[in-house]
Amino acid sequence: MIQFAVRRLLAALPTLFVVTVLVFGMVQLLPGDPARLLLGEEATPQAVTELRHSLGLDRPVPEQYVRWLMNIGRLDFGSSVKDNSSVLGLIADKLPTTIELALFAMLIAALIALPAGMISALKRDSWTDRALTLLALSGISLPNFFLGILLIYLFSIRLAWIPASGYVPFSQNPAKNLLLLLLPAVTLGVHSAAVLARYLRSSMLETLSQDYVRTAHAKGITWQQVVLKHGLRNALVPVITAFGLQLGGLLGGAVITEQIFSVPGFGRLLVDAVFTRDLPVIQGVVLVSAVAVFLVSFLVDLAYAAVDPRIRYH
Amino acid sequence: MRQPARILALLSLLALGAAAAETVTVGLDADPPRLDPALSSAFVDRQVLNQIFDKLVDLDQNLKIVPALAKSWKISNGGLTYTFTLRPGVKFHDGTPLDASAVKYSLERNLNLEGSARKNELSSVKDIKVLGPLTVQLNLKQPYGPLLAVLADRAGMIVSPKAAEREGKDFQNNPVGSGPFEFVSRKRQDNITLQANKAYWDGVPKIDKLVYRPFPEGDVRLANLLSGAVQVITPIDPKDISKLDQNPKFDVLNYPGLGFQGIWFNVTRPPFNDKANRQAVAATIDRDAVAKVVFYNTVKPAAGPFPPGTPAYSPTIKAPEPNLALARQKLGGKPLTFTILTTPGTVTTQLAQLYQAMFAQAGISAKIQQVEFGTLLDRADKHDFDALILGWSGRPDPDGNIYDFFVTGGANNQAGYSNKTVDQLLNKARAQSAMPARVATYNVALGQILSDVPYVWVYHPNNLVGMVRGLSGIKAIPDGIIRFKDADLK
Repeated sequence: MIQFAVRRLLAALPTLFVVTVLVFGMVQLLPGDPARLLLGEEATPQAVTELRHSLGLDRPVPEQYVRWLMNIGRLDFGSSVKDNSSVLGLIADKLPTTIELALFAMLIAALIALPAGMISALKRDSWTDRALTLLALSGISLPNFFLGILLIYLFSIRLAWIPASGYVPFSQNPAKNLLLLLLPAVTLGVHSAAVLARYLRSSMLETLSQDYVRTAHAKGITWQQVVLKHGLRNALVPVITAFGLQLGGLLGGAVITEQIFSVPGFGRLLVDAVFTRDLPVIQGVVLVSAVAVFLVSFLVDLAYAAVDPRIRYH
Repeated sequence: MRQPARILALLSLLALGAAAAETVTVGLDADPPRLDPALSSAFVDRQVLNQIFDKLVDLDQNLKIVPALAKSWKISNGGLTYTFTLRPGVKFHDGTPLDASAVKYSLERNLNLEGSARKNELSSVKDIKVLGPLTVQLNLKQPYGPLLAVLADRAGMIVSPKAAEREGKDFQNNPVGSGPFEFVSRKRQDNITLQANKAYWDGVPKIDKLVYRPFPEGDVRLANLLSGAVQVITPIDPKDISKLDQNPKFDVLNYPGLGFQGIWFNVTRPPFNDKANRQAVAATIDRDAVAKVVFYNTVKPAAGPFPPGTPAYSPTIKAPEPNLALARQKLGGKPLTFTILTTPGTVTTQLAQLYQAMFAQAGISAKIQQVEFGTLLDRADKHDFDALILGWSGRPDPDGNIYDFFVTGGANNQAGYSNKTVDQLLNKARAQSAMPARVATYNVALGQILSDVPYVWVYHPNNLVGMVRGLSGIKAIPDGIIRFKDADLK
């Protein structure tokens, strides 16, 4: 197990190297000059040249890349072109918010998906199943921005129960923090719940048709035990994969949802950086996201064994 | 029994005390990028900068230059010397005095700071001299009529020399001025918090705490106003004006701005190096339809760069009516196909489609290409487009709405337009000091530009502010910046 973990981590290094090349290269390919955008309405050619020089943008690209990579080795991600604040500081500031939001959303997703998926599978082709399928498909197809605005309209404007937007750190006021994150988490969670419920349904159906389930029934084990112990547990492996993918996606920043609810997270930081061509911030955020996605999938791999003891790592 | 009751009473008193502290939260359409008057290059920065910093002079509702930090000023030596007398006893938020040497420091910082976005505006300044503790003199290389208007914006904001020296590149993250509100904190993409300057020279603001929050989506901005999370939003999407107007809890300020919007033609390559093609496209534009369909009449049809109500506006230059016969005649039976570049977004998409339909009426076929703003600017600068939808937020002095756009090689001359007569006239107007003479010169230049059609002006947007009823003391100043000094929330 430990050997496997170490091997996986080592194998990730070349991948991460490729990621750094891609991140750096793609950012270079973006049309639009950071200096020009930074100067905006006041960009005279002379001012642009001066600023490009002071930002080091007039150096050859390979030189910029090597310098960036070496700095990253020392955990120095550079500083924002826009306001000179440290990229690592910005990431450290925004990442916890996004992690909290992602976990909150996945919790909501799991709470909805587990019962919904199971009921769907157990009552296959019944009206309940059809209704749940319809709901799941709506959840998948409903765009985030629409659901978000809908929730704001209902809970913030009509009922006035929850503020429309804003953010308070958990450490400052836990109750308010959770209240403010509730709508964005539901917005994100509904979509993931729909995806997970569909996975669970098909996986459950397959498991429940297996011989060992019939054997379990024949042995006279109670219905609940068959479903939970033999059915659900075995059906969870593909669901965990999907769960990991969803979580990884959310950690990359729930761009639209963060935008709608003004959650100061990773997604907003990234969008803002892309639009202003704040290259050091884009590079830092994408790199950290890539590492986060890798870590989640790594943890998911480890989780398989916990769920299904037949899975062994060699 | 008694004790808890007492504590409760005390708590409610405390709560009342807390409620008495007035907080106003403002929803903006973007997170202000840089809170340093020298480095700022986005319109939205100015909303916040104007509360933190005082300027040498300011604008009133009629765009007249009025005293601010400078109590008075004298222009002498044929427009080459500006002598300012400062208000006595003004202090920065850090307690240091705002005197002539601080003014000299700020102006020189604008001229010399690496990456300063003010260099162009102040390029006519030769040197700055301190004549006395409260007297400062600007000497120019050549007369520059727009100078006072420029000093009524970021170039005229005075920063605390002590803080600027101490903070260096981080001054934008800890700005210190002498304005009615002082900077407290900022969390990027979340909020900028200011508090009242209790020692403000022009009276302590009634609002205790002023918070700015960014909401890029118009619908989200509106939702936050409706739900009470913010008390002011700017701008409002035109489609939402009537919704707010009908709601008894809110007020709408809808007043003329300084900017213009329209279409650039790339005159450096086909098809628009041919003037007849530019004239044909321009003749198809129905400005009233644009105002009505896309903007719910919150914009005014434009005849040129100067909006009605600004000094250089000429009522004799009328916004043309659509003329399809003229368009067809200019085309002379030849087909015209081109690509028009714009940014994504509900309003820009609607606008581009409406233009496309108008062109089609004269048999002109336009393809819409939507690219994100950074890419659009890049292609505009490289003259890599046929036609392009792009406007300008506007400046109080006419020079700021015309010079850099049409002078040969100008920073905003996206068309690649060049005309010797226009260059001469624009430079001449800069050097004149009396406004009527300058206006006459600008309008001669404009006549030439209108006949060459490197740009077609379509509309002037209004400033649109939504706010809770009960917020008073906000003046409709055409530059679109909300000054909160006299604002009060009942």
